[in-house]
Amino acid sequence: MRAERILVNAGKTLAVLLLLVWSLFPIVFIITSSFKPGREIFAVPPQWLFEPTFDHYITLWQRWAVFFHGLLNSTIVTIGAAALAVVASTCAGYVYSRYSSRWLGASLLSLIAIRLIPPIVVTLPLFPIVNNLGLADTHFILSVLYATFFVSLGTVLMRTFVDQIPRELDEAASMDGATLPVILWRIIMPLAAPGIIAVAVFVVVFAWNEFLFAFIFTSTKAKTAPLVISEMIGSIEGVDWGVLFAASTIQLLPVLIFVMLMNRYLVAGLTAGATKG
Amino acid sequence: MKTSRMWQMVPLLAPVQLLLLSVIVIPSVYVIWLSFHTSTFGQSASFVGWENYVRVLTDPGFHNALWNTVVLVVVAVHLEMLIALGMALLFNSGLWFRRILFVAVLAPYAVSEVVGVAMWRFLFDPDVGPVSNLLTALHLPLLEWSYEPSHAMIMIAILTIWMHLPFTFVIIYAARLALPSDLYEAARIDGATPLQSFRRVTMPLLGPAILVALLFRYIFAFRLFSEVWLLTGGGPARTTEVVAVYLYQEAFTFSAFGPAAATAWIMVIVSMLLASGYIYLLRRQVRNAG
Repeated sequence: MRAERILVNAGKTLAVLLLLVWSLFPIVFIITSSFKPGREIFAVPPQWLFEPTFDHYITLWQRWAVFFHGLLNSTIVTIGAAALAVVASTCAGYVYSRYSSRWLGASLLSLIAIRLIPPIVVTLPLFPIVNNLGLADTHFILSVLYATFFVSLGTVLMRTFVDQIPRELDEAASMDGATLPVILWRIIMPLAAPGIIAVAVFVVVFAWNEFLFAFIFTSTKAKTAPLVISEMIGSIEGVDWGVLFAASTIQLLPVLIFVMLMNRYLVAGLTAGATKG
Repeated sequence: MKTSRMWQMVPLLAPVQLLLLSVIVIPSVYVIWLSFHTSTFGQSASFVGWENYVRVLTDPGFHNALWNTVVLVVVAVHLEMLIALGMALLFNSGLWFRRILFVAVLAPYAVSEVVGVAMWRFLFDPDVGPVSNLLTALHLPLLEWSYEPSHAMIMIAILTIWMHLPFTFVIIYAARLALPSDLYEAARIDGATPLQSFRRVTMPLLGPAILVALLFRYIFAFRLFSEVWLLTGGGPARTTEVVAVYLYQEAFTFSAFGPAAATAWIMVIVSMLLASGYIYLLRRQVRNAG
């Protein structure tokens, strides 16, 4: 019995170690490598003790100024997308929570179905339209696209969170003469804050990391950080791994820290969004 | 409901509906029209009936892309589910530092496709990659993903599993946590072994959550684009293309908008078939729960 316990615990420890290596090794590896001097990135076996240097970051700054412009673009697009998605989802989520009719029920299902259409399908007709409207290569179009692909999930999430706020609160406020916008702003938004954070976390991670739409709809002015990194990977004169790792680290670290801090909201959102419909 | 309140709803619903209509619904419907016409940039379109669909469905390039997509969906998604299930049971069996471990396995969720590709390309680089070096040291065959199509597909599968495992794990783990513990107590008192209680209690009760997560992942794996595009570009010689990359090539490389639109509608139909299964399961679960 005792031997069996030890065996089971050893097996579990091994599984946990494998899982940690699988999940973290690639991430830790590129972050540490971005601080390794020159050829040490390629040392066999990989070196974990070295004198950290900012060489690759300095090269990145000198040769890829466009990357830092990309970071700025990513920031603008991400904030725009998150704000748009949060406001639109909260308003719609409130309606779906407080009112019910056959028509509303059907439209909620259609929201979920629409969200499942592959994004690449809409790039086809949108590409010429966006060009004709002069919206190509703007922050605006990317923010709108990113927000749109998350308002369905956002609405469903906000509906679940607004459901938990007692109706009596809005009714009492309404009796006291509060208008609907005031009720939304003063009562619903503050009490549904965890839901708002959950929606924002999803949109932020998606918009910060997205590649396909940025690839098709931007070229210079609104080019986002992931797009610049993809150019580094595909660069014809061969990949400068040190610089690529430095750029990857800068792009990855903020969102990685964000996800780790917000993991509770992320989990609440994932489970509510995927299984409660 | 009073009519005045009905009218108050409209402006609240408008932003979401407007976004979805203008960005997704109307463009998707317009793709139907495109798929029955032949057109390229700057030329007026002419009606060609089913010709684009026939061309796509008889194109060996499309067959290859479809086959690759199906293989990836079937192999990668199911493998991912197996790992996620194992992880959920491991986490549920009582671990030290469970909270920290949980956050650690969530980490790949934060990684962009671009950075994911950069990482795994380096790890498996045939000349300098640490994993390749390790394989050589162990006298194991290397993954020649840059010119061997089947190896490239393995690379793509590893990358997608790595990127999406946190999502699947969270869904399954949350479902496992929601199972009442007195069921396991009862099974134990009745003398069930751990394996028996897994087969008779855990699996049947987790079934619906597993199905929902699987359908969700089928839908998202079916539209796979960035990982393939950034890793292989569909090459060598278009052998590792998936359906979304095939569509991109038709539209933006060859300016064949008709066939691209036909491909797009084939994607929509398959996605909607999978989605109707997903929504059906969701509604049944909601009804059972309520």
